[in-house]
Amino acid sequence: MKPDILDEASEIWFGPQHVSAHGWASKLTLVGDYIVECDPNAGYFHRSAEKCLEFRNFRQGSMILERMCLVEAFIAEYPYVGAVEKLADLEIPERAKIMRTIMIEFNRIHSFQFWWGQIAGELGLFAMLLWPWVDREYTLDAFEELTGSRHSVSYNTPGGVKYDFTPKFLEKMDIALNRLEERLPVFNDMLQGSPTFRLRTEGVGQYTAKQAIKWGLSGPNIKACGIPMDLRKDDPDPNLAYDLIDWEVPVTENPEHPGECDAYDRLIQRFKEIDTSLNIIRQLLPLVPEGEIIDPKARAKANRLPEGEAYGRIEGSRGITTVWLKTLEKSQTPYRAKIRGPCFASYYALKHIVPGSRFADFPAIFGSLDPYPGWWDR
Amino acid sequence: MVDASTFARVIINKYPEVSSKPLIGNKVELLVPKEKIHDIVSMIDENLSDALPEAAFGIDLEDDKYEVIYLLWSHESKLLCQLRVALEGENPEIETVSDIFPGFEWHERETSEMFGIIFKNHPDMRPLLLPDELVGKYPMRKRFVTDRSRVDETGLSTPRPRPASGGDSS
Repeated sequence: MKPDILDEASEIWFGPQHVSAHGWASKLTLVGDYIVECDPNAGYFHRSAEKCLEFRNFRQGSMILERMCLVEAFIAEYPYVGAVEKLADLEIPERAKIMRTIMIEFNRIHSFQFWWGQIAGELGLFAMLLWPWVDREYTLDAFEELTGSRHSVSYNTPGGVKYDFTPKFLEKMDIALNRLEERLPVFNDMLQGSPTFRLRTEGVGQYTAKQAIKWGLSGPNIKACGIPMDLRKDDPDPNLAYDLIDWEVPVTENPEHPGECDAYDRLIQRFKEIDTSLNIIRQLLPLVPEGEIIDPKARAKANRLPEGEAYGRIEGSRGITTVWLKTLEKSQTPYRAKIRGPCFASYYALKHIVPGSRFADFPAIFGSLDPYPGWWDR
Repeated sequence: MVDASTFARVIINKYPEVSSKPLIGNKVELLVPKEKIHDIVSMIDENLSDALPEAAFGIDLEDDKYEVIYLLWSHESKLLCQLRVALEGENPEIETVSDIFPGFEWHERETSEMFGIIFKNHPDMRPLLLPDELVGKYPMRKRFVTDRSRVDETGLSTPRPRPASGGDSS
């Protein structure tokens, strides 16, 4: 009789108390230090946001959405606002359109600064955790200057934006962006020049583009396989200003394994995303025209919506982020709101990606997919 | 590159019981009878090689009527396909499509625990998000009341009454 390898297996819970498992836990089955099975568990963070949305009016709803992922609040609240605008048939002032886009891109940068520190911490490189988080403070200062809040910003609202750019805010944003630009080469050196970092990420957590699409992965996790899938280009929201400027979707193609990506490629990809966002902001800033920041009739129009269904979509920093809305005639609240968080797919995908790798590689795989618990638990 | 209306026509030619409704942009909605969902989804998989399972979710239309919506996105064709399946009954059943698109596995798990819709042949029907106390209560159904009257049922401790105005806070 052949010995069954699983007789030797042991089960271990990664999280929810583990330092890098903030709000999630996965059950790993180990033989030696090889993971043979991974069972990601969700629900530690579930707040029933979709049900809550059914009891909030259309201007309040976006504030629930931004709590799904506080590090990308400007982005998270947008799909809901976009869906409401489609249903209410609102016209957005040009100034608000461009300001929104700038803030969404600025927020994308913030999200990557946060992620960068987080993965460095998970891989045990503490200097790399603290340095980007110092820079991140400058970004948060700018957010605070604009909205009065560092995280829960509630900036986008049906019909426009809530707060106008002030000279002080523009100055703070400039400081944050200049500092980031100055420091990016340093971080790139830390990433590409650090043997520890490369050893821990290269060849780890590999998957092909075809697999990733079937699992539903999107955003940087699929662009790292060389596929330029990006809603900013593919299905641009009419109320954002991506079509005004000239930019390219960044992709990473590793000549060693074309059509595939490992943890290292996904890190490189996220750095390219920061460059793209900087480029978009720099091009859009001079284009901001004078004028209104919100359609004056928006408040009344978004109060009661006609019967219908709308689908708001945006390319978040973690992938395709959407809200599907259904309303009844003259309703003040949605009949049904479905939130599609990008990390729902990437957390699920752990089940397929992790088996076969070493236990010590688990944080590298997890961190390189950049999942955020709020997005799958909602 | 596939155009939304051509794509819908190809499917309707093979399955005349499916009907389509164009949406704004390169998007199309297909109304699918529940027996055909597995066939239609595998046909989409063959026709759109890079279809991404974006979302699947339920809607409670009250009086034991439900709808399940599947959203599939193709980056190459810039095409969004929305499938709508109408269901009826206390615990309606529908075939799983997670064998074709593994990405739908968790979406179906969530729909099942939130709406009480059973996905036949699903590999893993454990509850996904709900705490043990709420399993089988189907909280996303419209008849699930969310006021304080259900606190006992959940087994959670009753919240302390608010202090009377004028303030006798501890």
